[in-house]
Amino acid sequence: MTFSRFVRICMQRLQALVRKERLDEQVDQELLFHLEQLEKENLESGMSPAEARRASRRALGNMTVLKEECREQRRVSWYYDFCRDVRYAVGMMRKHPGFTAIAAISLALGIGANTAILNVGASVLLHDLPLPDGERLVVIRTVPPQNPVQQGHASVPEYVAWKEQSRTFESMGVSISSQQDLVVDGAPERLLGQAVTPSLFDTLRVQPQLGRLFLNEEAQVGKAAPVIVLSHRLWQRRFACDPDILGKQIRLNGRDLKVVGVMPRGFWYPMENSEFWVPLAFNRFQLGGSARLFMVTGRLKTGTTLEQAQADVDGIAPQLERDLPNRPKGWKARIVPLRQHWFGWMRRPLLTLEAAVILVLLIVCANVSTLLVARVPAWQPEISLRLRMGAGRGRIVRQFLTESLLLSLVGGALGVFIARWGVSSLEGLKPPPGSIRISGMGQDGGILGLAALLSVGTSLIFGIVPALVASSSGSDVRQATVCRRRGSLSDILVSAQIGLALVLLVSSGLLLNSFVRLVLDDRGFNPKGILTFQYRIPVEDYAHRLVGYRGLPAMEFSPPTLAMQRVYEKLKALPGAESVAGSSAPPLDGLVLPTATLHIEGRPVPATPSDRTNANVVYFLVTDNFFRTMKTPMLRGRDFDTRDLSSTPWVAVINEAMAHRFWPGEDPVGKRFTVDAAFGERPREVIGVVRDVALRSVRNGPPQAVAYTLYLQQTDRYEGINAGMFGQMTFIVRSNEDPSILAAAARRAVAEVDPHRPLANIQTMTASVEGAMETRRYSVTALAVFALLATALAAVGVYGVTSAWVTQRAREVRVRMAVGARARDIVGLIGVRAFWPVAVGLLSGFLGSIPLTRWLDSQLWGVTSSDPATFAAVIALLIGVSVAACFIPARRALRVNPTQELRTQ
Amino acid sequence: MPKPSDLLQGTLDLLILKSLTSAPLHGWGIARRIQSLSDEVLSVQQGSLYPALHRLEQQGWVVADWKNTDLGRSAKFYALTRDGRKQLERELESWRRLSSAVGLLLKRA
Repeated sequence: MTFSRFVRICMQRLQALVRKERLDEQVDQELLFHLEQLEKENLESGMSPAEARRASRRALGNMTVLKEECREQRRVSWYYDFCRDVRYAVGMMRKHPGFTAIAAISLALGIGANTAILNVGASVLLHDLPLPDGERLVVIRTVPPQNPVQQGHASVPEYVAWKEQSRTFESMGVSISSQQDLVVDGAPERLLGQAVTPSLFDTLRVQPQLGRLFLNEEAQVGKAAPVIVLSHRLWQRRFACDPDILGKQIRLNGRDLKVVGVMPRGFWYPMENSEFWVPLAFNRFQLGGSARLFMVTGRLKTGTTLEQAQADVDGIAPQLERDLPNRPKGWKARIVPLRQHWFGWMRRPLLTLEAAVILVLLIVCANVSTLLVARVPAWQPEISLRLRMGAGRGRIVRQFLTESLLLSLVGGALGVFIARWGVSSLEGLKPPPGSIRISGMGQDGGILGLAALLSVGTSLIFGIVPALVASSSGSDVRQATVCRRRGSLSDILVSAQIGLALVLLVSSGLLLNSFVRLVLDDRGFNPKGILTFQYRIPVEDYAHRLVGYRGLPAMEFSPPTLAMQRVYEKLKALPGAESVAGSSAPPLDGLVLPTATLHIEGRPVPATPSDRTNANVVYFLVTDNFFRTMKTPMLRGRDFDTRDLSSTPWVAVINEAMAHRFWPGEDPVGKRFTVDAAFGERPREVIGVVRDVALRSVRNGPPQAVAYTLYLQQTDRYEGINAGMFGQMTFIVRSNEDPSILAAAARRAVAEVDPHRPLANIQTMTASVEGAMETRRYSVTALAVFALLATALAAVGVYGVTSAWVTQRAREVRVRMAVGARARDIVGLIGVRAFWPVAVGLLSGFLGSIPLTRWLDSQLWGVTSSDPATFAAVIALLIGVSVAACFIPARRALRVNPTQELRTQ
Repeated sequence: MPKPSDLLQGTLDLLILKSLTSAPLHGWGIARRIQSLSDEVLSVQQGSLYPALHRLEQQGWVVADWKNTDLGRSAKFYALTRDGRKQLERELESWRRLSSAVGLLLKRA
């Protein structure tokens, strides 16, 4: 089509729409002209005037039909039909405000929720990576053989192998988080920074704002050069943007480091709160070590796909296993795009929520559909009239779809508000460690566009069935057939709704159940009144030398027990502290759970890697007051006390899960085990069993086995992967009053021991628990709201079916009443009508929810995914709601006056 | 009056376009012209002329304008557009192909 013709056609259509009257008038004139000419010709051929007139009329045919045919050529009749349908639909909506409100509000919820989540999903996919050509950056993660979901960082030998042997990477670098204590002008502060290989900055393709980045010779094996690169933020905050900062020495963890560079504003890697970068020089221990603590970032060569890179590292794995024969086998490497590594944490909550809101939208569709179908009988006279007058079936379908579209658009418009609320809630989600929060989600344009699209799509889903039923019902003389067909259709819809509502209710019921347990602080300890903070003595202060251990070089440590003990004693003397204790790792929400391999006396020493894994337990070193301070109940035996010293027999307290795992059916008190971590370990006797304690604020799986031993009872020479944990202590201070006021006093007390060591992560346990619960609260609340909504909608569905039945059988009911049926009988009839769809729905929902709830297992604390109480409560709730929904139509049926009915018969 | 032979589907459009090649005409004029050019053999069903004209106008092949006739009467005159001329050539071409094919078939039959 040429452009000029396209423009011409557009102008024609436009004229047809806006100047309809004038065009119609022109058609009249044109035909009149033709008639006149014909008449004149006929007159000239000798006809009488009357005859000439008649003949010309005959020649041209039926004028009305002819005019209509001419008008139809304009191809805009659909527009006038549409306008008529819209006017009609608006009229219907105003006439039935109750129906309109129910339909529009439920559609608003369905459309709004889907809009919010799809919109957030899109911004997760499209969010800009703040690094040049960031789409080619990947993180190489490692995956343990037992648990493919549990991805982690890599060890140094793995990195070295990938870097040297891979062919698909342009470059590769390593980073590891490092917390260091910075002292500027006498004020100590704990900072989070990164030790990085010089190659990392090349991989990221970044340049400093001032100075330079690291040179390769600054990261030689075993000796990192004392240089540091500052973040723009740190430079601004602590050094007032000093332009002469380059070359100055700053004191970090007691070492003097020379500032060689400042990064540009807004640069961070790999975490938003990274404040500095120091060179990472591997030591001999790390070069052969198995600790997977290092984040490996690589840049793919141009044109290389993820699959090629994956195949590349997979090919390196067998050689790697041969080179390191002592390490557990079966670990795999996985290439994860940086985008996914940072933002992928949104995937699971988004998918969970999207699944829920799609279910809700489908329920809404089924429901509005039922309500619309139930109204069809009321239109039947008019529809059959229109069909008889020559309107096509398509025309009727179109009319009903227009009404659906209008309803859906009203719902979508309301849904925009819900979507905006939903997006802001999702923006409030806190990312897990290592992941990045996504800001700027939910642009208004995107929300509006999505809501409009969803409205149109939704209107087709729920509108098509009523439209088809309506258009076929008009031509059907025997209404009974229609009613029967309509009945079975709405029965299926009701069953589906009940089933979906049951699945949602059970899921949210389980999550709610678990959530309430967490809210009620049923974690095995009492977080109220507890202040926690971390204190650390850097490894450099107590590490001695490298020794051989299990064929690998290992650092030897003398744990700084005495230094730590001095801090503990100071804290115990804090005025206002009811009880004070310490633990080698944070008792709640630690980044890494420390584990240890146990050798139980009288059983074989775990030798193979899988034996060792089976003998692994979570392992905490605590002070004597730990359980009293946490308020964790002792179930058997005795607690640690001040008489347990390094010189007295070594002891341990275990939790229920550990007792159950290693000594099922036996009393574990008096049994002995050895921690397989060091030379000087002695056998420890189990003296008590405590309740299982949640190790995370939320997202606990089933309780893990935990062994607690005394901080004082440890060897003075230490090796192994967890060695670093013995120089740090999380102190727990319980107070009768608001524990946060103790922070200042605690800081002073600690400064008396060493003024250069700060307290880090000072927080009340309630605050940290609530912070973590906040995220969960959103998703649990959202799911619960959806479930309740689904239940309400299912109730509307049951109501629709029974109510339609009452309308159909009104006459029968009245006659029955007139001849003496009692209210009970009528209610019974209605109950029987509702019974089957409800029963089928409950059964299918029950069967469906058993596999569906199983994946919730990892998120539940204190309940199992097949919790019978939850299932029973949900089923009882749905039955109750269904009965209530039958009650309204039943009352309507009973309100009729039987004598009047007899008179009209 | 002998019943004029029915026009083949689509032929009416061709005839209308052809009749407009020399000068713009109004509906009545087109009807006359088709009749006279065909030596009165073809008579357009006069009623069907107008929907066809309106269709051609809507499709952009012809453009209409209100002008005075020789007798000073206002009438709607149709003229070929540039696209209309090309369309006419295409339709003539396909008509020739069709008629020669039909002619060939009739000769052989």
